[in-house]
Amino acid sequence: MPKLRCYFLLPMLIAMSLVLSGCSPVAPWQRGTLAKPEMAASRSELAATMRSHNYGSREAASGSGSSGGGGCGCY
Amino acid sequence: MAATKISPLHALTVAALALPGLWTADCQAEEDEINFQYSRYQESRRNLIKTPNHSTPIEVDSLFGSAKVTLADRVKFAFNYSQDTWSGATPITVAPLVVEANQAVIKNVKGGKTVVVGASPIIASRQITLNKNLKPLAFNKNGKFLGKDLRVVNVLSTASPETRKQGDFKLGYEWDEAALYAGGGISVENDYESRFGNINGRWDLNQKLTTLNLGLSYTNSDTSAIIDHDASTYLTKTAFLNQIENQGAYQVLTGNRQDWGSNFGISQVLNKEAFLEANVAYTRSTGYMENPYKATTVVFVDPEQPGINRLIGDVKALLEQRPDERDQWALTGSYHQYIGLFDAALHFNYRYFQDTWGISAHTFEAEWVQPIATTWTLTPRIRYYSQDAADFYTPYLTSKQAFVSIAKDSSGREILVDAKNPNNGIQYFRDDNYNLIDSNGNLVNESTVSTIPKTVAFDPKKLPANFSSDQRLSAFGAISGGVNLKKQITKGVSVEAGFEYYTHAGALKLGGGGEGSYADFGYYVANAALNVNLASLNAGTKPGDHAGHSAHHHYHQGGAAPAGVMFAHMMNKADDVMVGYRFMHSHTGGKMLNGDAIASDASILANGCVTRKAGCKMVPTYMDMSMHMLDIMYAPTDWLNLMLMPQFMDMQMNLRQLDGTPAPKLGEHIHAGTGHATGGIGDTGMYAMIKLFDLSSLHHLHLTLGLSAPTGDVDITLRRTHKADEGFIHYGMQLGSGTWDFKPSLTYSGQLGDWSWGAQISGTKRLEDKNASGYLLGDIFESTAWGSYRLNHWLSASVRGLYSDQSAISGEFNPTPGLVNGRLRKNVNPNTSSVDYASNYGGRYWDMGFGLNAQINNGDLAGNSFGVEWLQPIATDVNGYQLDRGGAISATWAVAF
Repeated sequence: MPKLRCYFLLPMLIAMSLVLSGCSPVAPWQRGTLAKPEMAASRSELAATMRSHNYGSREAASGSGSSGGGGCGCY
Repeated sequence: MAATKISPLHALTVAALALPGLWTADCQAEEDEINFQYSRYQESRRNLIKTPNHSTPIEVDSLFGSAKVTLADRVKFAFNYSQDTWSGATPITVAPLVVEANQAVIKNVKGGKTVVVGASPIIASRQITLNKNLKPLAFNKNGKFLGKDLRVVNVLSTASPETRKQGDFKLGYEWDEAALYAGGGISVENDYESRFGNINGRWDLNQKLTTLNLGLSYTNSDTSAIIDHDASTYLTKTAFLNQIENQGAYQVLTGNRQDWGSNFGISQVLNKEAFLEANVAYTRSTGYMENPYKATTVVFVDPEQPGINRLIGDVKALLEQRPDERDQWALTGSYHQYIGLFDAALHFNYRYFQDTWGISAHTFEAEWVQPIATTWTLTPRIRYYSQDAADFYTPYLTSKQAFVSIAKDSSGREILVDAKNPNNGIQYFRDDNYNLIDSNGNLVNESTVSTIPKTVAFDPKKLPANFSSDQRLSAFGAISGGVNLKKQITKGVSVEAGFEYYTHAGALKLGGGGEGSYADFGYYVANAALNVNLASLNAGTKPGDHAGHSAHHHYHQGGAAPAGVMFAHMMNKADDVMVGYRFMHSHTGGKMLNGDAIASDASILANGCVTRKAGCKMVPTYMDMSMHMLDIMYAPTDWLNLMLMPQFMDMQMNLRQLDGTPAPKLGEHIHAGTGHATGGIGDTGMYAMIKLFDLSSLHHLHLTLGLSAPTGDVDITLRRTHKADEGFIHYGMQLGSGTWDFKPSLTYSGQLGDWSWGAQISGTKRLEDKNASGYLLGDIFESTAWGSYRLNHWLSASVRGLYSDQSAISGEFNPTPGLVNGRLRKNVNPNTSSVDYASNYGGRYWDMGFGLNAQINNGDLAGNSFGVEWLQPIATDVNGYQLDRGGAISATWAVAF
């Protein structure tokens, strides 16, 4: 059976507590800044796909996304 | 009439409201857009410590294209296509330095000197000396003992170009506060095929301040790898015998793996200027997860050797062995903060990864997105990655047993067997007087049987269950940094260029203890992209523009020309921009021709390879070529259009042996079976189109003057195989002409009612005597004429005739020196196949084309046009000996602004 170390959970707890405590209500008309292109979570998607493909062919901790594909990278 | 002025912030707010789940990556509500990207990955040379390394490291050319469109009000569709072509030298195993596993490949140069031009792996059986603690010992050339040497080194192997292609899609339905997407795709390469499907859901809560994402994916991948022919003899494949099939001269290793992935994410708006994302992912992988091209070096040492302090070890390479199961967890947190002072955004990302192979990894990434002067965006980024080694990672192994030893029976006697039939089950022994006896102790007449000692192979159970020397599984750290620059060119069109440098080093591992510096390397990636936002094309229509999309109608003045005709249209309004994409695929296959008649194998054998006394051995069975072209067109005035046309090509082909070819000599290389592939950037065209006359929209004539720049490679070589270096892959598989070419054309078109017609003559004139590889492609002349009829308000059909003539190649490839079976040859360029000869190129061709063109006049995709044309060969008259043609298909898309 896999051994999950304790500190694996720590960042998750921090993240969750940030989510639950750190937010103030933001009305829909106050979200203009959040909608700016530079604030988008996914920018230059093709370039990001390319980078993760390169990292994935050279590092062990890649993949694990939810889309699949990418080939063998056996070089 | 002036439109009501709307503040940019208000516009963005409206956009934010219209786009639910704006910040979620997997399941995002997207605007309709089309993207293209080219990237080049170039790795640094590996340090081979004692052997100079001049071999080309891994390089990868990649092309990406994607389209996102709204099919119906709430139905979204996305399609992605990508292809990579790679080649170069990469580690196959790691060995103690004293094994001297990298052999220098040398070349004679003027003045009688020799220089090292490459390295070739010898993972052949070698013996090394070890001390009693099993540490390798070093000696100089004269056998003088130098001391212990614990250094290890990568052993490199070079790969010929190979191509991977992937197509995938996503179909989604969006509700006001939720969305569901399902997708799938396939990735295909010669030795690996992967099919995958996924489903993702998004749910907005709390007035869209909180968004939940859930995803599930399944991937099924088959490996079917030809074991490196050079290495195969020396590889020990004991663990995979039931996965290896003999297919002709090749050994093929097959395996299957399956991956189930799931992820759950939450994104939360923190305040007006920040939001946070957290994601947890779990993936379970089972099956064959080895890299079929990686081996682990094992030093077999029999501890019971005579002698006191020194032992002899047999160095062998075993195919790597990985566990058949792997569970992986990843936890990701991202923080996105707007920086008001600079009108910029800071994105920070951390990821923790852990799996059941013993690997844990941390990734930190930061990106600063800085808009500059409304149309520019500069994005510097930095990333740090660190991982522990897998439990079973080892540079190499030492096993305390002989690789092969003499079998003994229970009483310690050496077993002998019949040399002619060692597996007949009969055992012999020597008695105390050295007489040959059988297992019952009866004397055997030695003139009736000749015996040899029975040998037993090593016991695999004494090796670890799993081992790998793949540096992806070692302990290391990596730092990378780069910058991306984006420029909005016009409404809806932007271009982007990026660069990243990556450095991998054992010393960069978090907390130290990483792999030795022998494994360090780096790479850089450069990319360029073009983005066409179809939504802004429509949204940007000026108020008061009565026809809505009238802006592009002028583009199709003169009727649609068939998809296979280039430079057929001009834009006749100053400052107009057009972006287009052209795809062309041609198939060559079928019978071999000599002139316009079918050629027999016997006649090709005798005459197909003009300068080779022994005649031809091989002919191609097929050759496929695909071209992807981008058209970027701009009209500085109403009578002049400027056009830039970058191209990306890929090609595949295979060969067969001619009937009647003499049997190959032992060790001679027969090429048939595996096929070859090349791919990458082709030549880049630059054109000026000049309107000559435009007669009351009925007759139109324009001249195109073009220059083609030699950006495509003409120096692609085949990898070293079968202990023999090989030179250039044949002319037809090179990606460009290698010369500056002049490309003029004259186009006439006319239109009356539903009918339109046209004619074009065009040519390609090489402007140099020969290219850098020593040859010159023939000049080309083409003429074509077509007629087209409009079937309804958006669709038209076309028929055309085409004649083209291309001269044969002049000159030939420069000689390539290389090593064949350890001997230096002046020229190792392939010469056994008809395609290796310049005289077997060019010819005269007659074709008919049948096409359809669609012009979309309303709806979200208004302004886009599509065309497709099938080109059917009618007659072919080739120079020399060539394969017959099978037809070609062209497809185009264009949008004008």
